[in-house]
Amino acid sequence: MDTILQVIAIPAILTGTFFSVVGVLGFIRLPDVYTRLHATGKVGVFGVVFLLIAAVFWAPFAWGRGLILILLLIIIGPVTAHALASAANRIGLPRKGSIRDDLIHHLDL
Amino acid sequence: MKIIFDTVLYISLFIHIALMAVAFWRVWRGENVIDRLMGLDLLGILTLAVLVLLALIFRRIIYIDVAMGLAALSFVGTIALAKYIADEQMF
Repeated sequence: MDTILQVIAIPAILTGTFFSVVGVLGFIRLPDVYTRLHATGKVGVFGVVFLLIAAVFWAPFAWGRGLILILLLIIIGPVTAHALASAANRIGLPRKGSIRDDLIHHLDL
Repeated sequence: MKIIFDTVLYISLFIHIALMAVAFWRVWRGENVIDRLMGLDLLGILTLAVLVLLALIFRRIIYIDVAMGLAALSFVGTIALAKYIADEQMF
């Protein structure tokens, strides 16, 4: 039984680590604030959630709090990304390579 | 099987600590203020991942409790700083 649960948990840990590495790599390499924000959202929603899925499967003591933490992360990830993107648009940070701005009339406060 | 599982956990732990160093470097030498705030948020999320991995390694539930508190406080701090940057006032 332990071997089956570990065989389920190891791909979840590897998938979570892969998404964290890809998210931080995009956070370094992408050219723009908004695209970097798209990359860092992957770390919060996919990386930690897959690690918590591994914790829920493997550790029999942690499944209730693990599910609560997964729900909390799925709620707070998009809210944080939306708040940061709204603040970046409000202080007028430029987009790289954009040809049209539909939100320009929201800037006059 | 146990030794393979522990090896995967320790490798993932070291990778996440290295990613925390990268995020901290980005906070220190960021391009603009939103970039640095994104780095702080990413640092909190990666600390949460390290706490979940520590809970898996040492098999203690207290690390997941600490991770829940850290997630809630990091969320509130990031939202408050983003609103402060956007409106130049907190409330």
